[in-house]
Amino acid sequence: MSAVTDVQGTQDPSAEEKASSFEARIASGEKIEPGDWMPEEYRRQLIRMISQHAHSEIVGMLPEGAWITRAPSLRRKLVLIAKVQDEAGHGQYLYHAAETLGADRDELVDALLTGRAKYSSVFNYPTLTWADVGMIGWLVDGAAIRNQLMLAQCSYGPYSRAMVRICSEETFHHKQGKEMVIRYASGTPSQRRMVQDALDRWWWPSVMMLGPHDSDSPNTPQLMKWGIKTKTNDEVRQEFIDEHVPELQDAGLTVPDPDMRFDETTGHWVHGPIDWDEFWRVVKGGGPCNAERLAARNAAHDEGAWVREALEAYAAKHQRTESVVA
Amino acid sequence: MTPQTELDAQVSQALAYRLTAMGDDELLLGHRNSEWTGHGPVLEEDIALSNLAQDEIGHAVMWYGVRGELDGSDADDLAFRRDPAQFLSSTFVELPRGDWAFTMLRQFLFDCYEAESLPRLARSAHRPLADAAAKAQREELFHLRHTGLWVKRLGLGTDESHHRSVAALTAMWEAFGALLAPLPGDEQLVGAGVLPDWSTLPAAVFARVRAALAAADLDPGEDPVVPPLAQRNTVSEARTELLGTMQAVARADPEAVTW
Amino acid sequence: MRWEVFKQDTPKKAHQAVGSVHGADAEHALLNARHVFGRRPAAVSMWVVRADRIYSRTAEELAAESSAGADGTDTPPATGTGPRTYLVFRKSSHRRSMTFVEHVGEVEASHPRDALVSAMSRSADGEGLAWWVIEEGDVHRSDPDAAESWFEPALDKTYKQQSQYGTVAPGAGKRSAS
Repeated sequence: MSAVTDVQGTQDPSAEEKASSFEARIASGEKIEPGDWMPEEYRRQLIRMISQHAHSEIVGMLPEGAWITRAPSLRRKLVLIAKVQDEAGHGQYLYHAAETLGADRDELVDALLTGRAKYSSVFNYPTLTWADVGMIGWLVDGAAIRNQLMLAQCSYGPYSRAMVRICSEETFHHKQGKEMVIRYASGTPSQRRMVQDALDRWWWPSVMMLGPHDSDSPNTPQLMKWGIKTKTNDEVRQEFIDEHVPELQDAGLTVPDPDMRFDETTGHWVHGPIDWDEFWRVVKGGGPCNAERLAARNAAHDEGAWVREALEAYAAKHQRTESVVA
Repeated sequence: MTPQTELDAQVSQALAYRLTAMGDDELLLGHRNSEWTGHGPVLEEDIALSNLAQDEIGHAVMWYGVRGELDGSDADDLAFRRDPAQFLSSTFVELPRGDWAFTMLRQFLFDCYEAESLPRLARSAHRPLADAAAKAQREELFHLRHTGLWVKRLGLGTDESHHRSVAALTAMWEAFGALLAPLPGDEQLVGAGVLPDWSTLPAAVFARVRAALAAADLDPGEDPVVPPLAQRNTVSEARTELLGTMQAVARADPEAVTW
Repeated sequence: MRWEVFKQDTPKKAHQAVGSVHGADAEHALLNARHVFGRRPAAVSMWVVRADRIYSRTAEELAAESSAGADGTDTPPATGTGPRTYLVFRKSSHRRSMTFVEHVGEVEASHPRDALVSAMSRSADGEGLAWWVIEEGDVHRSDPDAAESWFEPALDKTYKQQSQYGTVAPGAGKRSAS
């Protein structure tokens, strides 16, 4: 497959033709599949986005995973194991999508473990109480769903398909979180305090999770041209806020934004200023749990090395494939 | 409502005891397995063990449910509001999860036990118990496939995986024998047809285990001793540690009715 | 090693490509496929195929090859010579979906390229956006008799199905579950 390293300003006419037919395909709603010609920059951006998304899912298992052993009812225990398991599954679907672009999963994982790869900073915040689990389900997964619904329309087939599958599973995450929060918000005084405290700590990280302001998001225009993003960060953020603020208030909770108000003329909720210094600090690794999250992933990887070796060794020894009897 | 054999008070009590012990075993085993979620050696294995953990906890819900039909007890109360001394779990499932070899081999031995106990229970004179066992059997069949594969990979993979397997079996062997010990009240249950063919269970389990381990080049030595009567209310350190974590949130707010 | 996974939702539907799993060998891959793709309904059968054993072409690739006069290189090495059975899978629509190509039939041929050409000439509408051709010997299947233990238990796990959740916000009357 010929590599076009620079879509603009190339001297090669057939490269320009290829680039414009590529964009025409996307504009007409066609999916780009593995094997199709694509600009090298499209491939590069996709691998970056998809792998970051995959890493976020894997790291995202940890903050809630820590509460599995303390889930306070049998149903909650089952639900939380299933939810965290889904996050592993979502990472799995996304690594697959990256693999279809020629990426190697072991290399991607290595980049994560050595701190070279980014993942969503929202998972660098600690989960301090059981109510955090519900709040993450409602807000963090609520924000993720907005993003995912948009990405399901993405022009690259494997990414779009992974997102459709993820969306179908994420709704359960959102609903069970909402169910928990609403229940505790009208529960015992202790439960009510716990859930308000969780909202106080998770509201802003969730709002920021939808990415920097459009003015600070240089990749967005090209990604929109290539059908990878169909809405800007601020657009998705507005959708998120409009959906969640009234429901949080109906549940009897107070959103920790003193400037939050409803604008009658636009029909939208208007939020106060976002502390982007905090966002960039956490993105760059200064969050409360960055080091802890990566240490946990590295430990799991290192402790698992002998297991992976045993699997390989057995497979090598038994290579004459007896027909598999399930 | 499924018709039930009329149970006399003594048999009913013995059955409630057994169901609690079975539920406790499944719950604590599932809990130990769930400790791996997010920390597995391969992404797919993380997902797999989470499936097994959900299945076991689901079985606990089922056994507690059959007990609940007998005496009105509530599954969450049983799981979260009993003290360690009131639990009837076996040491076998309480043991810390250890390394991957320990977790896989312990699950495999438990699956072998259920491969013999569930078909017997599925023929129980107590219909709700028989129905629950039949349901659990479907999942346990699949578990045996999964853990059976791991026994082979671990025993026959590398020197390291082999040594770790030997160490794991050594560490759990005595507790495995104790898992199979008769519970107080089993005699009545056998007499009432609630536990058919129960006396043949340990030998059948050991035969299964031995054959599978041998195929993986693992020889655990003599069969473990099966005590004449189980001592299920022994509070091990492992049980205290496990329940201390498991019940922490539920018991921190005594007023809370629902979570 | 990477294995592409195919899932059959019901006995009446074709096997569809749903994604891939890592596995050290075919047995391991089948188990992993069930764990990853069978944790929610519905499934009655799964297949796994080593990713490097798949002959894959998109409509665009085929068009480029025919204008360049190419005959389709990067073919997986055939196991032996002579005609054998190839399974053919096809994607027919750009419509948003969670599955990729779908099993459309079998062809006897000596080479995956010939199998593809034959399959394309047979398909009534000729509308294939993407094609996979796989040698029969490379397909590893779940045991049909094991469907009860492999796939049915997922039906009972309603606690992780979003259709089971409805939420009412206090004081606001009934809200539709989002």
